[in-house]
Amino acid sequence: MMGPGLSYEDTPPFSAPVRFFLTAPLFGIAAGLTLVFGGEILVSRWTPGALAIAHLFAAGFMLQVMLGALLQVMPVVAGASMPAPLLIAGVTHVAMTLGTAGLAFGLGTGTPGVLLAGAASLVGGLAFFLSAAALGLRRGSKTGSNTRTPRDLRMAFAGLVVTAAFGLALALVLGSGVALPVPLPTAVNLHAGWGWMGWAAVLLAATSWVVVPMFQITAAYPQRFTLLWAPAVTGTLVLWTIAEFFALDGARIAAIIALGLLGAGYAAITLYLQAHSRRSKPDTPFLAFRQAMYAALAGVLVLVISLWSDADYWPILAGVLILHGGFGGTITAMLYKILPFLAWLHLTQAGLKAPNMKKLLPDTPIRRQLHVRTASLASLCVAVFVPMLAPLAGLVLAVEFGWLFANLLRVVRARRDAARSAGPRPGSHASA
Amino acid sequence: MNTISELMTHDHRDCDGIFVRAEELASDGDWAEAADALKQFADALNAHFDAEESTLFPAFEQATGMTQGPTAVMRSEHRNMRDTLAALQYALDKQDADDFAGEAETLLIMMQQHNMKEESVIYPMLDTRLSGEEQQRLSDSVGKHLTEARAA
Repeated sequence: MMGPGLSYEDTPPFSAPVRFFLTAPLFGIAAGLTLVFGGEILVSRWTPGALAIAHLFAAGFMLQVMLGALLQVMPVVAGASMPAPLLIAGVTHVAMTLGTAGLAFGLGTGTPGVLLAGAASLVGGLAFFLSAAALGLRRGSKTGSNTRTPRDLRMAFAGLVVTAAFGLALALVLGSGVALPVPLPTAVNLHAGWGWMGWAAVLLAATSWVVVPMFQITAAYPQRFTLLWAPAVTGTLVLWTIAEFFALDGARIAAIIALGLLGAGYAAITLYLQAHSRRSKPDTPFLAFRQAMYAALAGVLVLVISLWSDADYWPILAGVLILHGGFGGTITAMLYKILPFLAWLHLTQAGLKAPNMKKLLPDTPIRRQLHVRTASLASLCVAVFVPMLAPLAGLVLAVEFGWLFANLLRVVRARRDAARSAGPRPGSHASA
Repeated sequence: MNTISELMTHDHRDCDGIFVRAEELASDGDWAEAADALKQFADALNAHFDAEESTLFPAFEQATGMTQGPTAVMRSEHRNMRDTLAALQYALDKQDADDFAGEAETLLIMMQQHNMKEESVIYPMLDTRLSGEEQQRLSDSVGKHLTEARAA
């Protein structure tokens, strides 16, 4: 009989998620270097360099970490284990890494062939991953879980499919001149909107329903809020898409404002819960998570301003605040919790004595990297208004992600060293 | 009537509350109070584990026919958490704040991912597989176990 995904065989090997976690910061470094050498590319969201950076960050950093983490947590939060996790990780990781690199290069240099090949490889990798995830969710637990997470995960996957479909269509437009039924900027907005809200925000929220109360020891999110939030986001995205296709201007603006309010509502409730955490001495990743929520709130405000202003800098500033500040901040905070725990878990499951989590990754390097992260967000915001500072902001961004990479690598090495030198865990009952 | 999910989830949160108190007292260097809080936490945690291992997991195994799958993993995670709790106690005895913080962080994450599995898979399966009467009997028995262990 197929059980829910709780057995040790359902825990993917360490290398399956870790390859995504270690590759992701490299794309952050690439985004920083693009900014260093790309000149004044933050003057508009439509410069080739800005498009390249957006994809290096969203598909290279965010998506890599998100898929790596999903491989690991789907058995835990949804009782859904992926079949053959190493194969899925291997194929998806290679296809996405090459695809994102090609896509960003094609966008940045205006090379249609590379852009198309990159987009095809990225979408192919995603399709492979999503098929496996769908299989896992279908054969997973059908027990009516008491959290909204499994349902919201499905909605996030649907959001990712729509994002990828718009992305592929746009690549065909740019790469081979296919015509779209809507103007190009509209299709780009829909691609970004579904990616930010339909996929990334719904996934983040679905994760938060579980992770924030449990790991930050807060009260639960209000039930009605978690019941309605993801369907409201997805429903509003559908209405917005219809409004864009039929050029209904009033409905279009109303839908965008509604999406902004939904995003702000999630951030505000999360901040409220965190402010009342029973853990009165928050650790550094927790503070980074809070900072990310403030950045997201500011991003929503700027996005609303951009609806009534033609200035080029508002959309760029909103992108910086939401992508780097909001999503980047929460993802970094979660990585600092996930990776040391995975290292500990795999050592323990192998019957070895594992160093505790703060020995695998001490607080000090985390704190320092997060200080650079704050400086990086601040310098990006300044560079939006003072374009000549973009290379400097790029440098800080590259340092931020280089440091993140070094910190993550430190955990992987600490695990390897512990596995070499450790004896069996005292009193261990775990099987080797 | 409380469902199994409600009863056990509530006990998880109770344990979290005592854990957080021990962690804070230790980080303040108040080792005497931290020792009391840690003892209270250890009692609550062991009572919870004992109730599951002696009553709730057997009920799950009987209701689902799965004797080697999820419950075997949950029992093994209980053993890991008991080991980490011993390491936490050792750090407290040495009054080593860094070690205590590191072991506490490890135990917290171990505990929460374990709770996540129980709350999203094990308890809901009991809620749906057992009849109302069976659920009531199991709730009473587990509740009695938890209360007696806490009172002891």
